[in-house]
Amino acid sequence: MSALTGWWDDFFWGSVVVGQVFFVSLILMVVFGLIGAAAKLSKSRVAQRIADAYTVVFRGTPELLVLLLIYFGSAVTLTAIAQLFDPSVKFVDIPPFWAGSFSIALIVGSYATETFRGAFMGVNPGHIEAARALGLSSVQTFFYVRIPEMWRLALPPFGNHMLSLIKDTALISIIGLNETLFAAEQAIGATGKPFTMYIVVGCIYLGFSTIITLTVMALEKYANRHLERAR
Amino acid sequence: MSANVTDPIIVLENVDKFFGPFQALKNVSLSVRKGEKIVVCGPSGSGKSTMIRCINRLEEHNSGTIIVNGHELTDKTNDIDAVRSEIGMVFQSFNLFPHMTVLRNLMLAPRLVRKTNKVEAEALARQYLERVRIPEQADKYPIQLSGGQQQRVAIARALCMKPEVMLFDEPTSALDPEMISEVLDVMVDLAREGMTMICVTHEMGFARSVADKVVFMDGGEIVEVAGPTEFFESPRNERTKLFLSQILAH
Repeated sequence: MSALTGWWDDFFWGSVVVGQVFFVSLILMVVFGLIGAAAKLSKSRVAQRIADAYTVVFRGTPELLVLLLIYFGSAVTLTAIAQLFDPSVKFVDIPPFWAGSFSIALIVGSYATETFRGAFMGVNPGHIEAARALGLSSVQTFFYVRIPEMWRLALPPFGNHMLSLIKDTALISIIGLNETLFAAEQAIGATGKPFTMYIVVGCIYLGFSTIITLTVMALEKYANRHLERAR
Repeated sequence: MSANVTDPIIVLENVDKFFGPFQALKNVSLSVRKGEKIVVCGPSGSGKSTMIRCINRLEEHNSGTIIVNGHELTDKTNDIDAVRSEIGMVFQSFNLFPHMTVLRNLMLAPRLVRKTNKVEAEALARQYLERVRIPEQADKYPIQLSGGQQQRVAIARALCMKPEVMLFDEPTSALDPEMISEVLDVMVDLAREGMTMICVTHEMGFARSVADKVVFMDGGEIVEVAGPTEFFESPRNERTKLFLSQILAH
């Protein structure tokens, strides 16, 4: 463990970054998933096709490739635009934190699209009719009936999506984000102890995923409370 | 609001409804006055449910006119949510919200649609639970109740909106026989209190004792409309006679 002396700070702040990326990408992922599911379930053919294309592309290509394409693609575009105004500009990029969070949210959001779509379809249409018959608007029905009922069905696969997200944060070290794996690479460069450093990173991720798993278990218990109390 | 008692509260005129090529309602006309109790019967697939579902626009009719409480349903200037809030509906399969307790099921629409405050909504909910004789179930979830209790909660939920009309879509068809009477008792109470009701049901005993008019439907058409005594003792149409002989045979 002596090899780690002086590196704890780096791993700690790396973990904080992992947590931040996870938090931001989780929110984006839910937004992308809900929009995707809404588009697939909408009556608009155009919306359906766009959502189909989204899930085909992002579920069918390697995550690392998507990350690189988005980061470097946006950097090349932004640099070209900036050079129109100021030819002396060498390189403009979206900060790796945002490019990375956006990329993994887009990828996992494509899986969440299918999860949410299936879960919405699992809501008893009679309950939706009952809400409308009582005079609730479609928006009120969505938030008070469809989402709460859909949520229970979506939770188990959604837990897997959260695990995917947390693990995908490790990819972002590639584009220079200062997270745990990035810290490990630096520590390895200085100490020459790759095994120790990678084990530390592994333990950090196990810690994160354990927290997620326990949280999802608690949420599932809450979402199913009305079933558990049955006779 | 001193409406003439003979003013119709629901009017259907020449209503047609298609599901794809299948015509579910054929030129249906019916007029219901305030306080009237209408029982609708007929073989399955005859359009009974479709007709009452058109009245609160859960199904959109294709032609003809439906006027509910003075609102023409196809008129785009009407707020359909507001019209629906005047019409209570009870379904065959109860359709309680499973993730909410009984009390919250009852409070949801008054709070969201009528903007009633929490204290008043809860008082209202408890009052109606008392009326359907299950005040002690307020904090349970629907799945913990028997079918008959769930259906009574569904009736109370509709009543919490203080509707002008109540629609019943085969309210006892999904119930075990021993639970049917507890639901019918509540419906009879409601009828005695003067509620305007349209009930799709095969409970002929209920039809005899509370109906002002019995409507018989077959093949998407209204075949016969008569008072209960006339309907059961001397039906005019052959199809009505056949139907009655089938369901009253045992």
